[in-house]
Amino acid sequence: MSAGGAGGEAKGGYPPNTIIGIGAAGGLLGIYLAHFLSGINPAFSFLGGIGAICAIVWGADAVRRVASYGLGTGVPSIGMIALGMGIVAALFGLSVGGIAGPIVSFIAAAVIGAIIGVLANKVIGMGIPIMERAMVEIAGAGTLAIIGLSTVIAGSFEYGAVIENVVSTGFIAMIFIIGGMGILHPFNANLGPDEKQDRTLSVAVEKASLAMIISGIASSINEGMGAAIVTVLVGLAIWYMAFNKYYGFVKRDAHAVVGTGLLPSAEELE
Amino acid sequence: MEPLISMGVLALIGVAATIAGASEDLESDVGSQSNPNSQVQLAPQMMFPHRIYNKAVSGEPPSNALMSAVGATGAVVLMDEFSLSPLFALVFGALIAAMVHGTFAVTSTMGRAASQRRFKQPVYLDMIRSHTPVIMGYAFITTFCILVVSFLMDSVLSHPFPLPLLAFIWGITVGAIGSSTGDVHYGAEREFQQFEFGSGLNASNSGNIVRFAESGLRNGYDNSWFCAKFGGPVTGIAFGMTVFLGNWITTVFDPARGVAEGWLSVVAGVIIVLILIFWNRKIEVAARNAFGPYKQDKTEEEAAA
Repeated sequence: MSAGGAGGEAKGGYPPNTIIGIGAAGGLLGIYLAHFLSGINPAFSFLGGIGAICAIVWGADAVRRVASYGLGTGVPSIGMIALGMGIVAALFGLSVGGIAGPIVSFIAAAVIGAIIGVLANKVIGMGIPIMERAMVEIAGAGTLAIIGLSTVIAGSFEYGAVIENVVSTGFIAMIFIIGGMGILHPFNANLGPDEKQDRTLSVAVEKASLAMIISGIASSINEGMGAAIVTVLVGLAIWYMAFNKYYGFVKRDAHAVVGTGLLPSAEELE
Repeated sequence: MEPLISMGVLALIGVAATIAGASEDLESDVGSQSNPNSQVQLAPQMMFPHRIYNKAVSGEPPSNALMSAVGATGAVVLMDEFSLSPLFALVFGALIAAMVHGTFAVTSTMGRAASQRRFKQPVYLDMIRSHTPVIMGYAFITTFCILVVSFLMDSVLSHPFPLPLLAFIWGITVGAIGSSTGDVHYGAEREFQQFEFGSGLNASNSGNIVRFAESGLRNGYDNSWFCAKFGGPVTGIAFGMTVFLGNWITTVFDPARGVAEGWLSVVAGVIIVLILIFWNRKIEVAARNAFGPYKQDKTEEEAAA
């Protein structure tokens, strides 16, 4: 018995390619802008967080599309695997890629995602039509989320700086889990037959902005208080807007939003 | 380090872990996370709308890892950047983590209810307003205790891992133990109290969870009250024992004193695991002998025949 979705293709809203464009282009652009502009002023490192938000929204949409095929309790697992693939690809790409690091990571993630997608469908036999494609997308989104949030903390995506400020300080654990939850939680939180894409993605923006805020707090050690405050304030503003948007969607979509009340009667349920 | 001091630290770690385990289980019970959640989610689809919090953040291990890693990040920043005392930093870190967890709880319960529009499950704002602070309160206690455990391991027992990574690992552990130990008492028993004890969950009873309390409608408080009698404490003991025994073997047989001691600690760990497996088996056999298999009614047997 599945308490999950309808067990078919996810419907409605923005087409997948639009979201992929926003996620991949926005993510890479944010990361590169943060990397280069932080050299001028550390306060610009918040742009890495904007890139991470784009990537997490993309990841959440990919999870939504693949999990609509009836993955109920598998939704959290797919979010974890996203960041698991992402962390390997990110560190590999940054270590060999130099200035092209994020792009190399992104390609490495696509390869890892494709292999895992093929394994899931062909070897384990999950039989989800879009599995391979979705795993490539999820791996790419997870990688960009990790590099984006790491750039917020380290002020750069240079391998040495990331290892020193993100990995050896242990913040990588926080990035891993908060990025993963950003990708898995939106669809998981809105699971049900009347799930809507815009509501799910508004949660993705909200959770990604929380990731940005926490990374901003962590960045104060390396980047200084000024840069950290900019990141936290921008993150808070995005969080406030996204949460209000989400609450509006809940009021629009729910059967009823009531201050208090008894359970619907048997006649009402008919 | 003086053996006496390390023993004292070990005792403190064990106490903090016990409290963390108990509060973790009650935190998940107030919001019906993890194991009991599938039936709370299913109930409206089977025409049983309810006033029970649907905190589908994720499984308990990731959500507790999130709280602990976020709390540790805040604490590290306050200690390193602002040179605050560890006690204040850990409290403030736990506060940040509880607030983040609160937003996850709210978005999940609202979203899950809104996605059940066709089953006419309303979003009860008073229920969300009253339960979320309780969830955040338990989350605060859990995170603070996990941070105490991680901080003591890091600074006193000189663990090589940084604080956020240790907290992350202990968060996953407390979530896994809470999910496997404590949830049974809510998911298997409390939700199906109206059916005969020990009868298991018949497929036709799926989603038919208890929705009415002694007075009024049942909510998350009622469930945490029930679980606080046994499920919560037993989770605390399980997690406390895990943390205590896990550290005890390397405190008594400190690998820093030589390779032989290190191997002795491994041997001690294996012996503890074997004793626990044997003891568990004894308890299981004793329980089966005492209570036996579920006995069917005569009428059921006739119907089956």
